[in-house]
Amino acid sequence: MTNKALSALRIIDLTQYIAGPYCTKLMAGFGAEVIKIEQPETGDGMRRLGPFYKNHEGLETSIPFLWLNTGKKSITLNIKTVKGTEILKQLIKNADVLIENFSPGVMHSLGLSYETLRDFNPRLIMTSISNFGQTGPYRDYKAEEIELQSLSGGMYMTGDPEKEPLSSGPALCQYTAGKHAYIATLMALLQRGKSGNGQFIDISIQESGLEHIEITLSYNLQKGKNAKRGEHLFVPWDTYECQDGYATIIAMPSRHWHRAAEIFGDARLFDKKYLHVLDRMKHRSEYEALLRPCVKAHKKKDLFHAGQTRKLAFGCVTGLDEVIESPQHKAREFFVEIDHPSVGKHKYCDAPFKMSRTPWQSDRAPLIGEHNQEIYTEIPGYSLQEIQQLSEQGVL
Amino acid sequence: MDNLPMQGLRIIDFSHSWAAPHCARILADFGAEVIKVEYVRRLCLLRGAKKEKTIYNSHPGWLQVNRNKCSITLDLKNERDKDIFRDIVKISDVLIENSRTGVMDKLGLGFQDLTKINNNLIMLSMTAFGNTGPYSSYAGYGAVMEAIGGIQSLTAYERGGKPARIRELDITNGLAGACAVMTALLYRQRTGEGQYIDMSQLEAGTHGLIGEHLLEYVMNDSQTLPLGNRHWKFAPQGCYRCKGEDKWITLTVRSEAEWSKFCEVLGHPEWISDPLFATRVARMENHDLLDRMIEEWTILHIHHDVMQILQSCGIPSGEVIDVDEIRNSVHLRERAYFTAEKSGSGLLFMGMPFKFTRAEGKVHWRGPELGQHNEYVLCQLLGRSQDEVTPVKDDDIGTAFDPE
Repeated sequence: MTNKALSALRIIDLTQYIAGPYCTKLMAGFGAEVIKIEQPETGDGMRRLGPFYKNHEGLETSIPFLWLNTGKKSITLNIKTVKGTEILKQLIKNADVLIENFSPGVMHSLGLSYETLRDFNPRLIMTSISNFGQTGPYRDYKAEEIELQSLSGGMYMTGDPEKEPLSSGPALCQYTAGKHAYIATLMALLQRGKSGNGQFIDISIQESGLEHIEITLSYNLQKGKNAKRGEHLFVPWDTYECQDGYATIIAMPSRHWHRAAEIFGDARLFDKKYLHVLDRMKHRSEYEALLRPCVKAHKKKDLFHAGQTRKLAFGCVTGLDEVIESPQHKAREFFVEIDHPSVGKHKYCDAPFKMSRTPWQSDRAPLIGEHNQEIYTEIPGYSLQEIQQLSEQGVL
Repeated sequence: MDNLPMQGLRIIDFSHSWAAPHCARILADFGAEVIKVEYVRRLCLLRGAKKEKTIYNSHPGWLQVNRNKCSITLDLKNERDKDIFRDIVKISDVLIENSRTGVMDKLGLGFQDLTKINNNLIMLSMTAFGNTGPYSSYAGYGAVMEAIGGIQSLTAYERGGKPARIRELDITNGLAGACAVMTALLYRQRTGEGQYIDMSQLEAGTHGLIGEHLLEYVMNDSQTLPLGNRHWKFAPQGCYRCKGEDKWITLTVRSEAEWSKFCEVLGHPEWISDPLFATRVARMENHDLLDRMIEEWTILHIHHDVMQILQSCGIPSGEVIDVDEIRNSVHLRERAYFTAEKSGSGLLFMGMPFKFTRAEGKVHWRGPELGQHNEYVLCQLLGRSQDEVTPVKDDDIGTAFDPE
């Protein structure tokens, strides 16, 4: 077990949906014991949201749940009962990290504020993820992903200038907050390794999401410049229509751009008056007008390879069907088959990055309450009969 | 107050552009000493396309992404400078680099070489496509990996529409880099062992954003996205025009209870039981019509007011704010989010992405001037003589945008 990066760490995971679960998924994949606490009968809200495997609605068939909870243990616990809170405290007493993403104030109202918990576990690191942070006038505001994107500035900058702002399809802000939670928690653990002391971490998904526009926002803070959605500053640096889809054409590295003459054929694109990116920016629309038909004449994959073999950072927009078949992913074994009792064997993305000594490990997501017996016989040390009783009382 | 968590760690940032420098920035913000190694003949693209009047030292993007870092200029094709680089590696904990696959090995500065002089070194390579596989020699910026990775295909105004870029894959990948460094540091704290991390930005971005969507495709042979601004399960959800130029509001109605409140607030209680909208499924089917009716109301109001009205009855809603509005946000100010450079310049910066109770991250200084810390690194850290410090010559400087 020593070759896992995070083995020996016990994480109590009170999170639901995306941000918290992605954070603890990373912890589990790198070897931490993640104990996911779920409400009896209903579980993580993501279990009920779906989309579902073959559209079979059920607690064990939610696709995002299956992705976001790989490698964790699940126990059920009704923390809103007195007995439940008491059990949770015992679990926390024996843990390194507590991660939660309830609305601000909920942990306090359950008697589980950091100030209380630290008294019986001074080494505890508590990470709270919330939409707008634990303080401030928006503290209790409600938000789904689209609201998080609109209030962290990325959405205003996305889409066409003549249309409404466009929100990202993927849950960008929640995933970014999940990574921030992972980084922050590990930083606190690193520090605890020296000092022995835990601490509290406040993660506002909004503030975390502001990082997405750090360059644009800095121009505003320092030069007062506002910004609109639309084209990229540099020319060309965009997605263009081609014969069978869209290609990404970037004139970088600049010193290789002249090689694209062999691809596009139109010598005007490489005329001296367009030699420097600053020249192309000055003549943006006429340059793009020249470039567009040249791109349109090609197939997307041909452009990708033609650019890249000439050292140019070209790409093409790829659909999920093509991603699954990507030769690059196959060569690097990016997909791994995981078996699950309710949905069977399927290909999941494997490691986010490859570590030479402490590789990632992919295991399936847990069934709801699957680890009740394993955990509760250890902490608090219940007999099977007691577990049964508490379960009937609705505590477990 | 305690120390910051990364205090006492030294990190070499031999990287350019945005993702990898962002990774190093987070570590610098929380206390690590980050030494950025720069190549004078080809400056980082965040230093811009011009060199007149040392303008490359003052672009806000540079100042932000490289804040709290030191800058040293080295030419790694030169043996003396290569020696200096090795000497810095000897006294460092982590090396972050984003050269093309194979470049570090060719320079004799690959992990196998460096681990001989610093046996518990952590080295993170953030290449575009990873160190192996048919695309390993290919280059990429965020726009390339976002497209090739399938990420871009999931954002568009409508199914089949032009896929839009989102903001910002470089942050997604920079943070994945920081996740990798922290994972390796925790392991090293326990065992004393360093290691090498082969990060493909294609894989990290895919894992970090669309793992659930790929799994859906694999399991169901179908995909939910793209859906424009709509939600696949809740209705209505959208982005609606408000009073003023280019002002917008987003809102999401997630339940029948929220729907009833929503109709009442808009002054249309008759919508609640209108068969066109009475159920979630009906609202999905008649979403276009509903959008027009909602916009008739939102257009009369300031976006901020719409947000407050809807939030006061518990309905998720957000004004679509631009950077001016972010700077003036009362909520962010009350959370003391923005921060001034500690040097006293008054230059304003974004705050920290998360808050620790034991110590607060600070912007001690802006992104460094080119070679600003040459003397500090050579003389103070490496104990070399003052004579070895050579000033940056203007004629030697080239930008990332020079045509050849």
